[in-house]
This record gives sequence, C-alpha cells and structure tokens, in this order.
Amino acid sequence: MMQDLAKRSRSITSLRDFLEMLGDAGQAITWSDRVMPEPDVRNIAVAASRDANGAPAILFDNIAGYPGKRTAVGVHGSWDNIALLLGRPKGTTIRELFFEIAGRWGDAAAQISTVPEGQAPVHECRIESGINLYDVLPVYRINEYDGGFYLGKASVASRDPEDPDNFGKQNVGIYRLQLQGPDSFTLMTIPAHDMGRQILAAERTGLPLKIAVMLGNHPGLAVFAATPIGYEESEYSYASAMMGAPIRLTTSGNGIDILADSEIVIEAEMVLGERVVEGPFGEFPGSYSGVRKAPIFKVTAISHRKNPIFENIYIGRGWTEHDTLIGLHTSAPIYAQLRQNFPEVTAVNALYQHGLTGIVSVKNRMAGFAKTVALRALSTPHGVMYLKNLIMVDADVDPFDLNQVMWALSTRTRADDIIVLPNMPAVPIDPSAVVPGKGHRLIIDATSYLPPDPVGEAHLVTPPTGPDIDELSKKIRAMQLGAAQ
Amino acid sequence: MSQTVCPRCTTSGAVDDYQGKEDGKVVWTIHRCPTCCFSWRDSEPASAIGLGIRSADFAVDAANLDRYPKILQQ
Ligand SMILES: [Zn+2]
Repeated sequence: MMQDLAKRSRSITSLRDFLEMLGDAGQAITWSDRVMPEPDVRNIAVAASRDANGAPAILFDNIAGYPGKRTAVGVHGSWDNIALLLGRPKGTTIRELFFEIAGRWGDAAAQISTVPEGQAPVHECRIESGINLYDVLPVYRINEYDGGFYLGKASVASRDPEDPDNFGKQNVGIYRLQLQGPDSFTLMTIPAHDMGRQILAAERTGLPLKIAVMLGNHPGLAVFAATPIGYEESEYSYASAMMGAPIRLTTSGNGIDILADSEIVIEAEMVLGERVVEGPFGEFPGSYSGVRKAPIFKVTAISHRKNPIFENIYIGRGWTEHDTLIGLHTSAPIYAQLRQNFPEVTAVNALYQHGLTGIVSVKNRMAGFAKTVALRALSTPHGVMYLKNLIMVDADVDPFDLNQVMWALSTRTRADDIIVLPNMPAVPIDPSAVVPGKGHRLIIDATSYLPPDPVGEAHLVTPPTGPDIDELSKKIRAMQLGAAQ
Repeated sequence: MSQTVCPRCTTSGAVDDYQGKEDGKVVWTIHRCPTCCFSWRDSEPASAIGLGIRSADFAVDAANLDRYPKILQQ
C-alpha cells in the first residue's frame, strides 16, 4: 500500500494527475452547485481550510458567469493532501512529513526531460491576439478588500535579463499578481527576491524582461519552488530532486522554460519604468498589505490545455492553504542549516505565518545552550527576516504537538528565561513591526535546567511514547472510523 | 468617459473589462477604475463595492496618489 502510494506520487506530472490521486483517496471533491464568484468561492475555501488535517481539494465547475470553466482551490490545503503528494498515506503525522522532506535533501539527482513545444499539453490551445485574461481565468476576489482580482498561486518563470542563456539563473517563484485590465497585470515583489533583482537589472540596463506565468502546475513545484535556495540553483532541478521524479519542461512562446503539463501559461513582458497602483491584498499574516505602485506586465500570448483548470489559493488569516503549502518546506531548511553547527537540534516547526513564530527542539549540551541555538536560528537565511518569536523546547518535546509545547511553556519557563532583541530586521508585512521592515525579536527558552543550575530536572512522569504508541493511536482512529460506518 | 463611479476612490470614468454571460445573457460586468486601479464585479456584495457602504479604511485618495510609494526604485 505504502509502496503503491510512493510510486504513484513519483508518477505525477500535472495538476490533473494529482487531483485524480486525491480523488481516489477521498481528498478531492467537485462542487457542482451553482456558486457566485463572490463571496461563495471564498466562503467555501475558508470553510474547507478549517480542517487543516483532512480538507479536500475543491473543484468548482458551475460558477455564475463562467460557464464551462473550472477553478480548483485547496489542492495543498491539508496535511493529508501534502502526505499523498509525498507518497505517504492519509493520517501521516506532521512530524513524519517533516522528516520525510528533511530526509530527501541530497537524496536524488534532478531528472529534467524536454517535451517539444508541438507535443506539450500546455500548448494545446493558443491565444496570440484579442487577448482578454478574463476569457480564460475564472477569477474572483480572494479577500473582501483586495484591490482587484488576484492570481494567488501563480509560479512565475523568468530568465535573468543579463544572462538569458543560463538555465540555472532562470527564476521560478510565487508572486502575487493583480489583474490590471484585459491584458495586463502587476507583480509584487521585494528587491531581495530573485524577481525583484531581475526587474531592477532590466530597468538599469534597458533590457527586456519576459516572463511566463504558470497556473495549475505540477503540485511539487509550488511546494519546492518557494524555498530560499541559492540564486544559481534551478527551481525545476530542485523540485525534481525533492520529488524523486522527472519534471517535464517545454518552451514558452517567448523562450522561457515552462512546465509542459501546466494548465495555463501567460506570457508577458514588463513595461520598463512603469508603476501602477497595486493592493491591498490579504496576506499571510492575516492582514492586508498596503497600497503601493508596482511594476506592470503586458500579456503577449496565452497557452492552455483543453478545458483548463484555474488553480487558486485562499490566503488570509490562518489557518489557510498557504500554511500547509509552505509550512514544512519553510521548516526543513532551517533544520538543516542549524544541524550543520548544532547536531543537537532535533526538529524545527516554522509552520506559523511563514515562521513568524518558530519552535525548535534541541538537546541541551549545557545550561543556557538552547539560547545560543536560538541566536543561530535568527541568522539562517529565513530567520534573518521571518523568525520573530522563537520557542526553544527540549528534545523530549515534539515541536509539532502544541499540547506538548504548552506543557514545556507551563513547566519549564521562567519569566527571566526570555530574550528580547530590539530593532531587528522584520518582514515588511508583519503588522506588529515598529515600522514596516523593523521590529523586535523574542526568544523564549522553555527547556529544562542543567548544572550549574541548582534546580535540575523534575522527576518526570514518563508515559509510553514512540512508534508503537503512534501506531496504536492510528489504529484507534481507524477502528473508530470503522465503527462509524 | 463613462459615468460609472469607482466605489473605492469615488472618481468616475471606470471602464468595462469583461461581461460574464450565460446563454447570451449578461450575468455580471467587471469594471476597472483607471484612476486608482480598483477592479470589481457588479454582482459583489455591497460591503465590498457599495459606494458609501464600503469600509472607509480601504478608500484610496484619488487627489493624492503620490502618497502611495513606488516599489523597486533604483
Ligand atoms: Zn478608483
């Protein structure tokens, strides 16, 4: 059974494959009752994401005013869906999924295959004139006060304008895109992101910046392309290695490597030097971004599969699909980077608001050691901007089990075991920042006491734990489900 | 210039970008304000698109667009 799932996971090449796999596992539903674009699609997506463990993907095929068009939400919206993507059964714990991802690093080589343009499913239908994005995309307002209709789950591929032949310097990243009329959209990024660098380079040199916006993609890409990996590493290669499976690429009409099996690809070129009003947009901290002026792109062509599926995401005040989509792969690199210096680190939970709160479990080498590890975490690539609140727990506490974390906070934290680091870098959309981009950090040491601390460890109750108990817990759940049928 | 008024910045002149149709009948229209770049569908709840009903917290000041910063300036 588990081997079958692993094999099936590796055979996924497209969103369609994955939706079929999810459907077979009871993890995808089709919503065929007529819905209004607003507020129904949002309401249903939010209602589904209340169940972070088990929510299904939802495919809408009867949206008022969009006859014949399909929209998918919640594809990565639960841990069960993430488990299936990784070839693990439903009910796999978050902790197990974390180690599944952490264990894949350096495990497999990238397998990139190239599909001729004429044979690539993404190019089945082609629009080069009379372009109206609304003809193809059944968009809806994701949050009530968004400034417009957003593509919230678009993977944007681009070549470095100054080094366009370098495969490794192609960038694939998820950026929020706001439609700005029938053939235009704005793209929001910051200078530190690859796309921000490419936009600045294009405007500095006057070179064109062409991009391909991929919608409805291989589900591994969104999970693994949003990672802070080195600039010269290809996201496609990385996603392939992490999935342990081939990635099929083809070329877009404007010469960029794209996934051959995506549902929709929008080709566009930046209007150099132009900025138009963008936002607000309900972002992952659960608050709206401000209104700013962002670069605008003109659409030059659209390719799509027959009867394409428009994939989107609900993002806003958590828990949302955004959290399950990026949570584990935010946590795993921090874990790997910490372990280079401190093998005592046993797990990292940075699931909350992209790591604005993180929980690290560590075997204390000496009194106060956990605080030292916390300071190292703040200097990891993701930690520099995001890790705002850090809770340090002992290795006997599972950082993914908040009941255990609360136990550690209740029994192992002294009020003077916290550190506040004032006026540190902060991610600009953190609403608690002193000014956008600058804020305080908090470290809570919830680990136990070692000499020379005179208190020592309490005489702990040691309930049975380990894989046997995990299995028993799953068995009880399965028996309960059986009894209900 | 159209007389459609933008519910976000209250200027007129919004353009029609798209009409959702079923069996040839218009179900809704998507408008866009060229002044503040707000896009909306006329079938949305009044709380989001109603002139004077929408939360004032999300208004855009059409007379003072310079206050909105440009990102990625060299
Ligand atoms: Zn306006």
